[in-house]
Amino acid sequence: MPSPMIADKYGSFFHLAREHQVIFYYVGYFSQHIVAAMADAVKLQLEVAGVATPTRRKLFSSFIEMAQNIIHYSADALTPASQNDGELRHGSVCIRREADGSFLLLCANPIEAVLAEELRVKLEALRKMTMEEIKQAYRQTLREEAPEGSKGAGMGFLTVARDARQPLDFDFDTDDASGDAPVFYLKAAI
Amino acid sequence: MENLYIAPTPSSPEVDFKFDALRLSLRGESYPENAAAFYGDIIARLKDFLAQRQGITLEVHIALAYFNSSSTKMLFNLIEALSNAAEGGSQVMLHWYHDEEDDTILEFGQELSEDFPAIDFSTHAVEAP
Repeated sequence: MPSPMIADKYGSFFHLAREHQVIFYYVGYFSQHIVAAMADAVKLQLEVAGVATPTRRKLFSSFIEMAQNIIHYSADALTPASQNDGELRHGSVCIRREADGSFLLLCANPIEAVLAEELRVKLEALRKMTMEEIKQAYRQTLREEAPEGSKGAGMGFLTVARDARQPLDFDFDTDDASGDAPVFYLKAAI
Repeated sequence: MENLYIAPTPSSPEVDFKFDALRLSLRGESYPENAAAFYGDIIARLKDFLAQRQGITLEVHIALAYFNSSSTKMLFNLIEALSNAAEGGSQVMLHWYHDEEDDTILEFGQELSEDFPAIDFSTHAVEAP
């Protein structure tokens, strides 16, 4: 028998997503398989919506960088810290459409408190850079040895910043109810 | 030297290095979880081959629809190895394919060609599927 209670109790959650024009949202553990499947879904959705190719490319690229950052750096992991392949780590990603038709990409994941400070310094410096400086830093990093402790190439944030319309926004929520680790938020306007 | 073939997955490219035919190709999408591990072995095999065979004419085709930041770094290393061979007397013809509407991949190819002038670069625009 249909229960109106469901709409009463949980409708607000779905309503909020509609209100925020969320076109894609995932929360949970991220694995490489899940990222590849999400990539498919995001690609298809943007194609069907008729989004221009350059915008699609930027969104797709930034989405992958964010999702893989969660696999590599979230503090909530189901796999041991020493493992660097087949990792499974918790976080969330969201794509929403802005009123003017542009897009916002958001991601969130818990992060070790000690890494949060390093990240803040890095992202604050990145925010102050002009587009020309971002491209220059990208070219330079490409030609350097990968930084110690980086599982990628130290180029993920530069890659997102290069495609964003505005400086990347970030935040740390130290009072999140999900655990002790601060939650790192990143926002890119595409 | 044995040829190297790796089948594509949704997030890693087809690697088809026909060393015997002096024809190497990479095709597909590239965002493996661990690009350093994925490309590390491939680059090692390529370097072994280039160390064994000098004065050759090598044809390389790179047709990647998308590559993430860490794959970009590894592609740079791979092309650097090819450039070293070209400086050592081999001829390397690199065909760089990009979606006709994708300027980012085209520009990256152009940048590589400026960085590695010993390689004979050509870019090819392909129609979106």
